[in-house]
Formats: sequence, structure tokens, C-alpha cells
Amino acid sequence: MNFFSLMFEEFKAIVSDKAIAITLFGGVLFYSVLYPLPYLNEVPTKQQIVVVDGDNSSLSRLVIRHAQASPKLDVVAHVANLTQAQAAVNAGEAHGYLVIPEGFRHNLLRQQGVTLAYGGDANYFLVYSAILEGLVSVGIEAGKYIQFTGLLAMGETAKQVQLELDPIHLNSVPAFNPSLGYTSYVVPGVLLLVLHQTLLIGTGILGAGQWQRQGYWRQVSLGQLLCARVATFSVIYSIFTAFYIGFCHYWYQVGVQGDLGQVCLFLLPFILSTSLAGVAFSSLFVRRDLPTQVALLISMPILFASGFVWPVELIPVPLQAVSQLIPGVVTIKGMLELNQMGASWPSVVHLWWQLWGLALVYLVLAYFGVRYRLNVMPINNEQ
Amino acid sequence: MVNLIKRELRRLWQSPWQLALVSYLPLLGTLVLWWLFSAGLPTALPVAVVDQDQSQLSRMLVRQLAANSVVKPISYQDIGQAQAAMEKADVYAVMVLPFQLNRKLLIGHQPTIDIRYNAQFLLVGKLLSSQIQMSLADGLKQKARLKMLASGVSPEQANINLNMIKTQSSALYNANNNYVAFLVPPILIALVQIVAMLVFANALSDELRHNTLPEWFALGTYKVLWAKVLVYTPLLMLQMGVIYAWLYGYLGLPLSSGLGQLFAAQVMMLLVVWLIVLTIFAVLQDGARVISLCTALFAPSFAFMGVTFPTHEMPMLAQWWRQIMPSSHYVDTHIGVIAYDQGIDALLLQLFSYWGFLLLIPVIAVLLTKIRRDQAKEQMAEVQG
Repeated sequence: MNFFSLMFEEFKAIVSDKAIAITLFGGVLFYSVLYPLPYLNEVPTKQQIVVVDGDNSSLSRLVIRHAQASPKLDVVAHVANLTQAQAAVNAGEAHGYLVIPEGFRHNLLRQQGVTLAYGGDANYFLVYSAILEGLVSVGIEAGKYIQFTGLLAMGETAKQVQLELDPIHLNSVPAFNPSLGYTSYVVPGVLLLVLHQTLLIGTGILGAGQWQRQGYWRQVSLGQLLCARVATFSVIYSIFTAFYIGFCHYWYQVGVQGDLGQVCLFLLPFILSTSLAGVAFSSLFVRRDLPTQVALLISMPILFASGFVWPVELIPVPLQAVSQLIPGVVTIKGMLELNQMGASWPSVVHLWWQLWGLALVYLVLAYFGVRYRLNVMPINNEQ
Repeated sequence: MVNLIKRELRRLWQSPWQLALVSYLPLLGTLVLWWLFSAGLPTALPVAVVDQDQSQLSRMLVRQLAANSVVKPISYQDIGQAQAAMEKADVYAVMVLPFQLNRKLLIGHQPTIDIRYNAQFLLVGKLLSSQIQMSLADGLKQKARLKMLASGVSPEQANINLNMIKTQSSALYNANNNYVAFLVPPILIALVQIVAMLVFANALSDELRHNTLPEWFALGTYKVLWAKVLVYTPLLMLQMGVIYAWLYGYLGLPLSSGLGQLFAAQVMMLLVVWLIVLTIFAVLQDGARVISLCTALFAPSFAFMGVTFPTHEMPMLAQWWRQIMPSSHYVDTHIGVIAYDQGIDALLLQLFSYWGFLLLIPVIAVLLTKIRRDQAKEQMAEVQG
């Protein structure tokens, strides 16, 4: 059997196996829609808050108008006291509150300090941070307004007052994901994880279903089988990867900074090492329903260990070390740097070599694993 | 019934993988996922500082930054190096203290301090942005205070002038913004749902693998199903019990009320997971395919819980999809109990929100009847042949 007809046999085995086809073709398409779906609105805006206005003065109303004007906030109700405000949060009618104390205007005019109190539902960090950012800027603006009018009244010029209130300008700007969008944050990493996991599952089911049966895989040498299998999956996954990294990034408007040639070059050892890891993985199983289960159980740890959800610096060192053996973790890190953050090739090249190293390790494991499986006599329950 | 339950337990005992799924694997998963987030609070995140001024003021600001537990300032000689470090994710933000910062401040020009934070790592970036600004503002306040004192303002009045409006913010239900309390419980709920799905799918596929479908139907289709439900529901609840004991007992995460209500919610969630798996099993009737399709359905459940990204900000389609995931119904009860100390009426509403899944029951009934008939026909054919 020549190499191309062997690859063709492999391809036939993959597409005619419904369990693999569901995962590979169905899964890859389905997830390209499903995973980004919750995040399409990108940023939380207009979070509902309630206000406790203990002062009822022109100034307290000004603060409330400022809050209403903030793109992050939406004042939905006025309530009488803090207990009612918290009840509104508990009931889900609002996610935060602002308390303006009694005597707010009076104390400010007398040049005495006052305290504004904010609260937010910290069960949802994204909502909480939006509310806090909104309210803090409202508080700062209100304070500046008071100081501004006060200093003007003392006879300073408007320009002088501006300088005194803002002696240094802080220019804090987000880099790489300028809109602070959630899609750009989650999608690049998660799509790579989907490729990684479905590839493991596909090779896993294919192998697990074959070891105990007779077929073309026993009629060729071990080296040929490994090469053909890795080549077949690599061809299929090159198309999937191009669809994810090319089309999906474009469709979901994820910022892309990488150079096409470098990105392709970087993804080459990703596909090879993951295919080889998949073949090695498949030699662990003889039941076709098991590879998916194992891959599913390890997918959440892999996602969180890859360092874009939770910073790598805070992950315990032993877990970091183990995660370095997973091609997906290395690739997510490398691709985020190369394609999202515009790192130069020399600064990611160590990850590229690491992927080649992993490919070598998994090649050895795949070789011995598959040899072990094929040396055991088949159970001829079919054919 | 006792015999049927014994039959299930025997099958469970004979399947090492299934046994692992109901015993140590979820606990191992729990430990790994908790360990990942065990730092709890982000601390000592590397920030590149490029000090081009090298004045007393710039050094004071860097010290101010170093005093913030979230930030770990690292000095860089020039902006190019700092930028390269940021692109490699070695640092998560770059702060540039410009040349003549101190001088411009003293002669009354308004200098600019540039901060660039990595928004690709959204969580870290946003946190650093606010923390750096806070630290610098505090440092600059000291400067302004000195200036006021020098111009003859009394110290008391200077303090008030600086902090005309003080703010006090409180993070309800998770007072110190602990990530373990925020993320780990929902992640573990997603994990339990996945394990529950796998366990029940395996329990059903087991009948196919050992060719015991005729035995199943002879023993009574629904009786065998009930036996499976009666065996696996308590086992999964036990897992959740251990996880809750670990999180709220041993780790002592904040908890506002008793956990009693959660039992009802857990039973309901598990029954609905069983219903979904059973429907898929009845349609596909193949172990590997059932697992593949269930995986496709349940794997992304965490994103749809609405904990990381709020539900009310999701597009309509995502909110509908969320309704199909039992874990998103459950997480509402979970947060209600953990944080809001919710009443029974809220619980009843949440349990009632599963009503749509009742529509699966007639579908399952029809499919199972069909499978039984096919099975009977096959047997007839075998006998005649």
C-alpha cells in the first residue's frame, strides 16, 4: 500500500466514523459559534444601580445626574435606606448602589469632608468592576466640581485651577485590546483549546476503535501508520486552524498583529505535536467512548493553566511545570504573544522549539504505545 | 427494586472507569482547579517602570507603586525594552515617568505620565490600570499637601481640601474580591455537571456494550431506569456535598445561609441532566456517539453560567442556550443561597424554571418504546432464523 492510499484509508476511517465526525467536523463548526456567543456584546454597559439620596439637595441631584450620564451606569430607582438598597441587589433588580449622606451639600459648602458610599454585587466581578469604575469617576468629578467652584470663588483663574486640581495628567491606555472587549480576550485562547481538544479526541477514538480489530492498520509498518495518521490529521487540522485563526478572528473582529508567515510557521509544530500527542493518547484506550471523556475532564484545567484567564505568575509552580508538557498550553501562550500582542519572532522562538521538543517526546511515546497495542493479538469479533 | 439496584451496583463495581468517575476523579479535578486559583488575590504582578526623570519625585512615585501589593515594579532602561517585555507578557503594564517630570510640576506645567496596560489579559490589565492610578494619585496627593502647607493652609484644612469627597466602596458578598470565592464554586459546578453527564451516559451505554438491552427490557424499561437514577443521584450528591464541605467548611469561603435549599436544587439539576442524556442516548444508541454529542452540549456550560460575563449582557440567542444548560439554573440557586440568603419562594421559582425539560419525557417514552419493539423484532428474527 503506498503512502497516499494509506492516507486515503485513514481519511475514510475518520469521516465514516460518526463519533469522530461529530467531534471533528460538527464540534469545530459548532464551537466556532457557541463559544464566542455569550460575549458578542463585548463590554458590560448600563449596569443598574439604586440610589439612596439622604440629602435631597441640588448637589446630590447633580451627582445622581452624573451617575445617570455615565455609560457604565443606569440609575433605576431611588430607595429610602441602605437596607432597601441591599434588598434590591438581592432581588436582582439592581447590581449596585450609591449612598449620598445627609448634609452632603451643607458640609461641602462649609469645606468639611464628606463620604460617598458605593456598593456592588461582587458575585459578578465584571459587573462589580463596571459599577465601581462608573461610581468612582462620578465621585471624582463631583469632588472636582466643588473644588473648582471653590477655588474660582477665591479669585483664581480657571486655568490655574485646572492645574491645581490635576497637577499631573495620568494617561492610562489599554494596549492590544483597545476596546477592552471580552471577545478579543476569550476567543483566541479558547479556539486554540478547541482545536487541541478535538484533535486529541479524534485521534483517540480512531485508535481506540482499531487496536482490537483487524484492518489496514495492521497491514502496514508502524512507521508508515504513524506518518500517515499524523499527516492525515495534520491536513484536516490545517484547514480547521486556518478557519479558526483566519476566518473566525476576522468574523469576531479579534485584533490580529501577527505576520501571516510567522503565524503559519508557529502553528506547524502545534498541529504536529498535538497530532502525535493524540496518537500517543489513543494507545491508552481500547474503548471508543473513553478518549472523549478524558479529554473533556482535562479541558478546564488546561484552559485555566494556559495563563490568559488567570495570570501565570499566580499558578503554583508544580502545576506550571506539568502544563509545559501540554502542546495546547504552550501554543496558547505563544499565539497570544505572536498574533495578538505583536511580539517579534525571536521572543517566541523558545516556545516554538518547545513545541518541536514536545513533538519529539510524543513521537517516541506514540511509537511505543502503538507498537504495544498492535503486538497484542486482535479479537476478531468483527469481520 | 432492591434487586435492580443491586444489578446497577454490580455493573458499577465491574467498570473501573465508572468507579473512578464516581469516586476519586472529580475530587482530583476539584483539587487541581482549586490549586490553580489558590492564590485567591492577584498580587505582585510585574509592571515595567521606565524612569526617565530620576528625580526625587519619580522615585517617590515608584516607591508608592512598590507599596501596592498588587504591583511589582521592575525597572527598565528604555521604552523599547519595556515594550518587548510587555509583548512577551513578562510584564502586564508599562509606566513611563517622563524626562523633566519634577521640573514641569514645579514650574506649573502639566506633565503627563503614560501608562499602557495589557488588555489582552483583560482581568490583569483592568486591575493593574486601576491600582496603578490609585497608587500614583495617593503619591501626588502628598505632593499637593506639601504645597498647601507651604502656602499657609493649616494641616487640618489641607487634609480636608485634599479629600473633600471621600469614597467608601464595599464589595457585597465577597468582601475582599477573592477569586477563589468568585470563580472556583461555579467552575466546580460545571465540573460536577460534566461528571454527572459522563456517569449517566456510561451507565446507559453499559447496557449496549454488554449486550444487555433484552435483559433491560425484560426487567422493565422504566424500573431499570429508576434503579440507575436511584444509584447515581445520591452518589453525585455526595460528590457535591464533599465539594461544598471543602469550600465552605474547610476553606471557609463566605456563606450567608444554610445549605439546605441546595439539596432540592441538586436533585433537580441531576434529574434534568439524566433526562437530557437519556434523550440523546435514545436517539443515537451508540456509546461513543452519545458521549461525543453530550460533550459538545455540556463542555461550554461554564461560559453560559453568567458568572464571568453577566447574563443580562449576553445576546438573546446565548440567553436561550443558557436555558438549556441545567448548570445555569443551578448556579442561580447556588448564588441565591450563598450570597442573598434567599427565601423558599425564590427557590420554588428557580426549580419551576426547569419546566421546559418536561417536554423531553414524552419524546423519551416514544423513543424507548421504539427501541424495545426493534429489539423484540430482532429476537423474533433470530428465533425464526
